[in-house]
Amino acid sequence: MTNRASIPAPGEPRGRLLAFLSALCFFLSAVEYMIPKPLPFMRLGIANLPLLLAVDLLPFGPFLALAAIKVLGMSLVTGSLFSYVALFSLAGTLSAALVMYGTRALFRSRVTSVGISVLGAVSSNAVQVLLASFVVFGRAARIIAPVFLAMGLATGLALGFFAERFSASSRWYARAREDARG
Amino acid sequence: MTTATANAATRAAAAVGAAAENGDGRGPAPAEPGSGYRDKPRRFRLTLVDTAAILAAVSAVFLSSLGAVDAAGEPRVVISDGQGGEWIYPLDGDREIQVPGPLGSTTVHIHDGSVAIETSPCPNQTCVAAGSIERPGQWVACLPNQVFVRVEGGSDDESGVDTGTW
Repeated sequence: MTNRASIPAPGEPRGRLLAFLSALCFFLSAVEYMIPKPLPFMRLGIANLPLLLAVDLLPFGPFLALAAIKVLGMSLVTGSLFSYVALFSLAGTLSAALVMYGTRALFRSRVTSVGISVLGAVSSNAVQVLLASFVVFGRAARIIAPVFLAMGLATGLALGFFAERFSASSRWYARAREDARG
Repeated sequence: MTTATANAATRAAAAVGAAAENGDGRGPAPAEPGSGYRDKPRRFRLTLVDTAAILAAVSAVFLSSLGAVDAAGEPRVVISDGQGGEWIYPLDGDREIQVPGPLGSTTVHIHDGSVAIETSPCPNQTCVAAGSIERPGQWVACLPNQVFVRVEGGSDDESGVDTGTW
């Protein structure tokens, strides 16, 4: 999936950062899984926070690796790794990752984490609904589309505002950002 | 109170200025020597692209809700099995339906104008936890066993986005 050479070694700062963000994905997946929700189909998407932060911290190769690790983490936590449900997780996360990274690359300082997060969340949910309509539910899947897209909008907004606040005040983030700049 | 607001406004203005100087308009400004990092989160403004992204998402929600539910006719339960099979039952009365799926049989229970997935062979049981639905546009789905249950018809004012889920 990614160029082997582009994945940093564990010892170097960027490697440590990738390892840390990966661990955060696992941890937040577990937190997400145990938070009670009004609707069981609801996803808060908090496991996307490391990805959202990584948009400005990791180059594309390691960023994609992080997305893949996030899918692995979520699938392990929810026990869906060896079922076709993991495919939904993969498609959603991959599209969100590409959209988020692409949005930053395209608009640079003209977009904040809020815009990146909303576009990522909505595209993730849209791809999952599309996949559901192709793979399982057919035309019936369009009934779930409004709820899923609205959910993506709401959670994407919340996560984006949080990430924006966090990156503005966190010393850890400031250091990581300096490391990333080189 | 007013002073606090004024202070906040000044800070925000200063923050915006600093961000502009920083050149990238986001992220922490480089720490000045001896000043350390900011302890207070800085206020920020949504950019034009942010607003456009949010508007695009809102219109996607709106567009997807158009015609999502067939609200005409008598209230009914529509069950899809993921293999293209569809069963339609009236919402009233009391009946139990076994829906075959790749993992086994899912039990759907229609009772007193509401419908629920009662048992499911799936590992996560999300569909059972979802409880019962009764209004047009509401749905319960079991992704692992590929069973989709929805209520259609019997409505004249409900849009695709059902308030019951929020």
